[in-house]
Amino acid sequence: MKRAAAAFGTIRVAVAAALLAAGAARADDADEAALRLADAAPEVTHAAAGGRLFVEGAAGRGGGDGFRRLSLDLRYEHALAPGLRAFVANRLDVRSPTPDGADAAINTLKEAYLGWQMSADALLDLGRINLKNGVAAGYNPTDWFRAGAVRSVVSIDPASLRENRQGSVMLRGQRLWPGGSLTALYAPRLARSPDDDGLSLDFGATNGRERGLVAVGETFGGLALQFLVYREAERSTQYGLNLTALANDATVAHIEWSGGRERPSPLMAAAAGSGSADAWRNRLAAGFTWTSPQRLSLTAEYHYNGAGLDTTAWNALRRTPPQRLAHLRAEALATQEAPTRHTLFLHANWQDAFVPRLNLALMHHRDLTDDSRRIWLEARYHAGDIEYAIQWQRGDGSPTSRFGAFGGSPGWQAVLRHYFQ
Amino acid sequence: MRASTLRLLLATTLAFLLPSAPVAAEAVDAQAILAASDAVRNPDFPFGVTNTLIEYRRGRENERSVLAVYAKAAPDGGQFRSLIRYLAPARDADKLLLYNGRDLWFFDPASKASVRLSPQQRLLGQASNGDVVTANFARDYRATAAGEEEITDGDRQPRRCHRLELTASTPEANYPRIEMWIDTVGHRPVKARFYTESGKLLKTAYYRRYQPVFGVERPTETVIIDGLEADWVTVMRYTDWVKREVPEVWLQRDYLPRFRPE
Repeated sequence: MKRAAAAFGTIRVAVAAALLAAGAARADDADEAALRLADAAPEVTHAAAGGRLFVEGAAGRGGGDGFRRLSLDLRYEHALAPGLRAFVANRLDVRSPTPDGADAAINTLKEAYLGWQMSADALLDLGRINLKNGVAAGYNPTDWFRAGAVRSVVSIDPASLRENRQGSVMLRGQRLWPGGSLTALYAPRLARSPDDDGLSLDFGATNGRERGLVAVGETFGGLALQFLVYREAERSTQYGLNLTALANDATVAHIEWSGGRERPSPLMAAAAGSGSADAWRNRLAAGFTWTSPQRLSLTAEYHYNGAGLDTTAWNALRRTPPQRLAHLRAEALATQEAPTRHTLFLHANWQDAFVPRLNLALMHHRDLTDDSRRIWLEARYHAGDIEYAIQWQRGDGSPTSRFGAFGGSPGWQAVLRHYFQ
Repeated sequence: MRASTLRLLLATTLAFLLPSAPVAAEAVDAQAILAASDAVRNPDFPFGVTNTLIEYRRGRENERSVLAVYAKAAPDGGQFRSLIRYLAPARDADKLLLYNGRDLWFFDPASKASVRLSPQQRLLGQASNGDVVTANFARDYRATAAGEEEITDGDRQPRRCHRLELTASTPEANYPRIEMWIDTVGHRPVKARFYTESGKLLKTAYYRRYQPVFGVERPTETVIIDGLEADWVTVMRYTDWVKREVPEVWLQRDYLPRFRPE
């Protein structure tokens, strides 16, 4: 009996050793196959980057109507002398059919400026610059230069709205030190009002008022902080704060706040029934981004717009003639502000979803004032220099709610983009 | 009685001392070996290098990226900080990644947005951020010697190697545990296996194609093999090494929108 048990034990050990050896052999085979692939890897030659050009075609349906669009997007920089560089970024969108009263071709001069690096820690820029402040993903209270900056909306994705907009003409200086910086800028008034001409440089939209900004950034341990002071002619001084912190290996938390005394626009004042009194308004976007090891990133944010309408005023507005609501919605779109006070925002992005090179994105807005919702989905696949994307969106809620304006009719577009370098 | 008690005490003391003495010696040696292998991989001054990544899935090329990497060690002689600029593909051109310990920032020149990333967020397929940037393992891991072995290196040559067990010792460490093979002659890193907390194999890396760089034979290619899908392979090739100054003020978020290579 003892001898049988001993023999059985020996067999077990032998089997385990054989399995281990087989496993090691398999690993060696796999490693050898991988190394053979690496042996055959091509020698890659590359040009230094310094620009990007793409052509994009899109077709789809929105608000019940079909549309087509062709876009040309260019970004280029060139060294003029040691420390002196020129930057240009431009986009042209041609649409069919043409939106009411608008030109078929809308050009957006996003940037055109000279950058002078005076020393390793001092820089000066002059020209049209697309300055973007803010650490939040779905709403940026400190991004004061966004108002009126989008000439042609090609997607409701906040990333697209940030990218496809014109900068403001300004003189900007920056001083850096290890872990921090001081930025000061001045943007003069260059025109009285926006220009709808499709090929206009549209300085009235971005430089309709004299503006200035001072921002100080500093890092304290794991906290990255930025304080901002913004001044605009005929408006009270606005203050801002951006803060990010690493909560753990997978999570980044962020808070973006702005506040200051502010007079509501005539439309908002009429809707709120509060007159045009100057009052302190806070704006806030707070949330976090969590990333899984499988390259899925989830962002959740709460948005508060203290200049938006409260539930009572919003519900009262919804009972008035629809034109008033339409005008307020148009104003909110131009200023990229919510017409109401409280919103929840969710964004999910999954890279290499199911198959390599396929990215899936989901965006969800929920207005906590009228309980209307909007969902936006995108599937994007890239192969070499070509990207294919399908975007779909739908609003839910009553026709007079914030996101239910199109009676729940979904919109979609198919996009094909080709990059050149 | 007193003599036997003394003998017992002496024996007990020796029993504790004898096994621990070689372990302490090994720990010191293992850490020194690891530091020496770090010095083989990384120059001890600020430098720039081009990193070409070619990713294969099931034997076919899937992605190709070219990155310009600017690296500089922390002033206290600690871990490297890296500024990485995408040169290719065209859709990613001029995007930037700043890697400063656990401080990670990503900048997209199209949206002008600087976004803070968590260490878990990967931007380049299989290669983790930690694989792409320069890293001194000896700073973030505690090494213990696990004997000597003869293995086949990435160039199919037999190599007598120290096998080291690395355990994360700082929060900056990208992996909880690493198994590393280092050539007994010259302290060349030859191969490494990276594991999860639970002991699952994440990836295997071969350091190969040694060539003279800044007067030292250094690996100019790393081959990374996925732990679960063995046919998921990334080849990282290093070229265009250059000794260059990386100003301290570049290594922060606020400089990213202004960064221009010379």
